[in-house]
Amino acid sequence: MNTAMVIARNTISEALRKKILNAFLMVGVVLIAFTFIFQQFAPRQELTLVKGMGLGIISLAGLFITVILCINLVPNEVERRTIYTILAKPVRRYEFLLGKFFGALGTLGINIGLMGLAFVIAVAVKQIGAENAVSPLILFKGILMIAMQMLLLAALAMFFSTFVTPLVNFFLTMVLFVIGNLSSYTLDLAKNSQVAIVKYVLLGVHYVVPNFGNFQYTNPLLQPDVVVKNETLFLTQNCAYAVAYATALMVLAILVFDRREV
Amino acid sequence: MLREAFAKNPKLAGTLVPLTVAIIALQAINDRDDMRRQPAIEPKSVKNAATASFGGAGLPFEYSLAALSGFRQVIAGLLWVRSDAFFHSGNYDAILPMIRLITWLDPNWLDVYATGAWHLMYNFTDTDQRSDRRYLPVGLALLDEGIANNSKVFDVYKEKGWNMFDKVRDYNGAVKAYQGALENDPDAEINQVVHPLAHSFERAGMVDESIATWDDAIKRHEAWMKRPGITDEVKMRNQMGAKNATKNRSIMQIRKALRPVNIAALGQVNTDFHVTVTRTKSKVIKVEGSWNLIGSIKDTFDAGIFEKDGNTIKTLGKGLTLDGPVNGCRVDVRLQDDGYKMPEFGSFSFEVNPTITLMQDIVSTSGGRQVDAGGVYVATPRAGTAEQIAESAKVYNLAPKDQSIVNGVPVAQALSGAVAISPQGQWQLITIAYPKAFNAYPRYYTKAEVPAMFAKLRGDAKTVAEKLTKRNIHIARKGLYAPGSFRREIDMSKDPKMYGFKGESFELILSVNPRTAPDFVQDRIGWNGEGWNDKQFLDDKTVPGVRLIRVRVPLTKDDILGSGEKVLFKG
Repeated sequence: MNTAMVIARNTISEALRKKILNAFLMVGVVLIAFTFIFQQFAPRQELTLVKGMGLGIISLAGLFITVILCINLVPNEVERRTIYTILAKPVRRYEFLLGKFFGALGTLGINIGLMGLAFVIAVAVKQIGAENAVSPLILFKGILMIAMQMLLLAALAMFFSTFVTPLVNFFLTMVLFVIGNLSSYTLDLAKNSQVAIVKYVLLGVHYVVPNFGNFQYTNPLLQPDVVVKNETLFLTQNCAYAVAYATALMVLAILVFDRREV
Repeated sequence: MLREAFAKNPKLAGTLVPLTVAIIALQAINDRDDMRRQPAIEPKSVKNAATASFGGAGLPFEYSLAALSGFRQVIAGLLWVRSDAFFHSGNYDAILPMIRLITWLDPNWLDVYATGAWHLMYNFTDTDQRSDRRYLPVGLALLDEGIANNSKVFDVYKEKGWNMFDKVRDYNGAVKAYQGALENDPDAEINQVVHPLAHSFERAGMVDESIATWDDAIKRHEAWMKRPGITDEVKMRNQMGAKNATKNRSIMQIRKALRPVNIAALGQVNTDFHVTVTRTKSKVIKVEGSWNLIGSIKDTFDAGIFEKDGNTIKTLGKGLTLDGPVNGCRVDVRLQDDGYKMPEFGSFSFEVNPTITLMQDIVSTSGGRQVDAGGVYVATPRAGTAEQIAESAKVYNLAPKDQSIVNGVPVAQALSGAVAISPQGQWQLITIAYPKAFNAYPRYYTKAEVPAMFAKLRGDAKTVAEKLTKRNIHIARKGLYAPGSFRREIDMSKDPKMYGFKGESFELILSVNPRTAPDFVQDRIGWNGEGWNDKQFLDDKTVPGVRLIRVRVPLTKDDILGSGEKVLFKG
């Protein structure tokens, strides 16, 4: 496992060398801009807009960073033939793969963490002097959900990267991200379907495709008067779901990568 | 490839079995109604906004997809920013579908309901700024939807209460809405909910309930101020709120005690309501008339003293108010399809029935004035409201036309004996010359004080010059009484979309509701019109318990659309 951690550290260093943190800087600028550009609205509306747009931007930035980073991690090593050097050393294939995955997670964690921190600070500054202001720290719940969503997405992209080209991987991952977000609608369609085969296909889609819609938790953060039942269970269960699904995907990725000729 | 991989690493592959079970189990938990499917996290209406786009809800495909893919708050925010731009460009029609979509995408965004209802109920107007009242039930339906989606938060109840109070003028409906706020949200903002509830009770004629609500407001403010850790701003707001509530409660108690006494002592006012309705040209109607609009002279009730134990009630002269013709009470003019009643709307839709014609306007009464022989008036080039100090002594401004009738002289000449000054005139002069402090008691000079003060005034040339002559105070030789009048030409020809006149028969209703009359008029006629009467137009049937002045004029399509001038009603 130490070997995997060394690879993870290198992956993070490489990502930072590629100035991936520039994404954070851009998002930070946009977030700061948000705190000024909605000033024509009443303070409560302005805050709703700032929070809603801010979480949306972090989510969107996280999505692109995750996909672009993860689809290239393994193929780049193969293309540059550096993988031969690595695997010639006492490094097992699963260690290599896990190292790359953890490195990607570290990079994502740094990015989403910094974006989240900037966002919370921007909201806190915006709320200075506001009456009945809800603590901006609750926004970390939304940022946690975005991070969990990206963890799952990273595992999916890593899994595909073991056997498809980056271009195909990009489309596969993005399509599954959209379908996964629509999973509650596939469930409704399944429930309402009168045709048995359609019903089971839709149920299959609902349970097999990673359910990215699970992590949509913006509304309660924007509308503090909304009462959420079982919030702790909801958040814990979603974290567990993301970890379990990502683990399963990484197991599959290791199994596939183990048999792949490089 | 996978089969080989599984065969080579059966142990690792075996871990997929418990992982799959865990994933399915966790997903099944997530699919429960009290988890992701709960309205607070995933409202069902989002599907309307997104999937209805294929059927024409107006949200483009890419927006629908983004909304469904976890960016619905972003889409709602963008639509809200866009609708704000439409608002500033005056394109209100474009805002409505956006409000529909936003409230679907984010049914918990309270401000959107409030702003949406405001647009619907206030901003759709004709060329002369008359609201399109066909939108009232639509606006109320939007607020009802907001309440249904946010039933535990006071905000939308409050909005409905205010719209019922101010726009619909259904005070019982306002009471219901504000009570809903208090029942469902114990932390409802007191100034925004309890205070208007008390005002609504008063307007609904429920005096005891209003006083009890002011009591409740005071207690709530006091309880808030005792809460630990409140900010100075909150404390100050509650202090102000408690102070206002105490004052309002006192005013209500004075009114409750004195209004019946006042009416019993002074008797009923004969309003002598007269109106003429004329079609001046096609779709243009002129409404003009006169009536005795009698109110109390400003602040005479408020100058009273009320002790909380209910034993001491003092105000000007044995609890009676000074009364006389006043300005300000409004005559409602409503033209509608015959028998039209505001419909109940089950669900919000921004469509209104284009075949309905509904016009409502208000015409203000003004110009009433009175002066007795030997009494005081202000000679002015143009009649109008006298300045506060003169008005509080029941002194009116008279224009040259009136001045020629009363044939008066300047005060200095009158004091020299040119005209006899009546006892009432003497009282008026000393009230203006030596005004008492606003918080003095008694607020006005008593009869016993008048002779001495008047003698002082006769010898006080400086005060006469500075306080009376400078104000153009005159003494009348003859009395004058003129009722207030109203006049308005209502042009419905420029807005065919709003006034389609598709029906065959219409009704024009002119009415004055004592419940909507200003306080100083209610001080004379009571909350329910107990203090007025009218030989022709008193109506105590339309609103049970309320004595309206009401005139209903049936009209045909031709009456309204015909050309040329025609008197449609005179009475």
